[in-house]
Amino acid sequence: MPQALGSLTLSHFLLTGAVLFVLGLIGFLSRRNLIIMFLCTEMMFQGVVLTLVAFSRFQSNYTGQTFVIFVLTIAAAEAAMALGLVVLLFRRKRTLDASVWSALSE
Amino acid sequence: MPYVLYIASTLGAVALFMMMPRHGYSPRKLGALLGAVTLGGLWLFLAQHYLEPASDRGITAPAVVYHYIFSGLAIVAAVRVITHDKPVYAALWFVMIVLASAGLLLVLSAEFMAVAMVIIYGGAILVTYVFVIMLASQPGDTAAPDDAPAYDRVSREPAAAVVVGFVLLALLLSAMFATGDSTDSPWLTPNVMAQAPSDELIIEKVLTNRAAQRALDRIGGQGEATVSQTFARTDQLDNTERVGLDLFEGHPLGLELAGVILLMSLVGAVVIARTRVEASQPQEKS
Repeated sequence: MPQALGSLTLSHFLLTGAVLFVLGLIGFLSRRNLIIMFLCTEMMFQGVVLTLVAFSRFQSNYTGQTFVIFVLTIAAAEAAMALGLVVLLFRRKRTLDASVWSALSE
Repeated sequence: MPYVLYIASTLGAVALFMMMPRHGYSPRKLGALLGAVTLGGLWLFLAQHYLEPASDRGITAPAVVYHYIFSGLAIVAAVRVITHDKPVYAALWFVMIVLASAGLLLVLSAEFMAVAMVIIYGGAILVTYVFVIMLASQPGDTAAPDDAPAYDRVSREPAAAVVVGFVLLALLLSAMFATGDSTDSPWLTPNVMAQAPSDELIIEKVLTNRAAQRALDRIGGQGEATVSQTFARTDQLDNTERVGLDLFEGHPLGLELAGVILLMSLVGAVVIARTRVEASQPQEKS
């Protein structure tokens, strides 16, 4: 297919970013392990980062890549806090099952 | 045209639903095959309709191959993360996502972001995740030590989650690939936002950016640099320098706020880690 080796369009990168975001969303909704749920939020961050950099490249505006630095900052802060909370929750009930915590009161 | 996107979304949803962990038999091989066929078919369709003929303006031909390789790797790894039984393997597949998306960022000629992504995500955040997975692992059953606990083997409402996710995906795709005849908005026509701009256009746009212009003068040391000298100097700027200029010249307040957020999360993590927990729950209930 000679036409397939043309130049890429923006939509190709947006497609990959959207698929990563949606897969992270599905994982967050359907998995029951607390750690994997937070891993899936990081996956959604990956999709957003890809979209931001693709827009930055195709609009030749470097603010998109600058924003990725802030996304990384938030991701690092979120990982530290969330994993600390997960360890705290694990010490209370000795399980990582999210549905154990479905009742608001104890 | 949008029907192809809808069909692809539906087939992808069915494939992912087949692969989700659940009670009883789950046809993972069949789901993987269906997903691969769907993704390949969608890419073939898009390659026929949305790739411009090779020109000197866009991302060049070898990058197209790398784009498909890295995108396929990222999507396969993402599916494995949300379908794998064991959390450690899910974390390792997430490292694969990070590496593949770093490759995609390299295709987009964002070298600094690619390297920062590998260092921060693959090096720092994922190591933290793996440590917590090891710290919070349950003592295994002695009869079958290789079996994952039930909350890893059975997912919660996979059908609803897959439907929600892929409806969102179909909406996103139909907005991304909307053609010009359905709407007047130039934002959505693929030909307007299709091509990566040439270097001349980047120089032109970056030079009109006032902050970058000021920073360039500051770097050069001579405020009276002529336009042609500035052009030459901007041409020599690489990706890291441009991102740095944009970060420190355009967003100083955001930089300060990021520092405050990191400090707050540091304090919060220390407070959370030092919280004493009375083990009031029965230990053997699992």
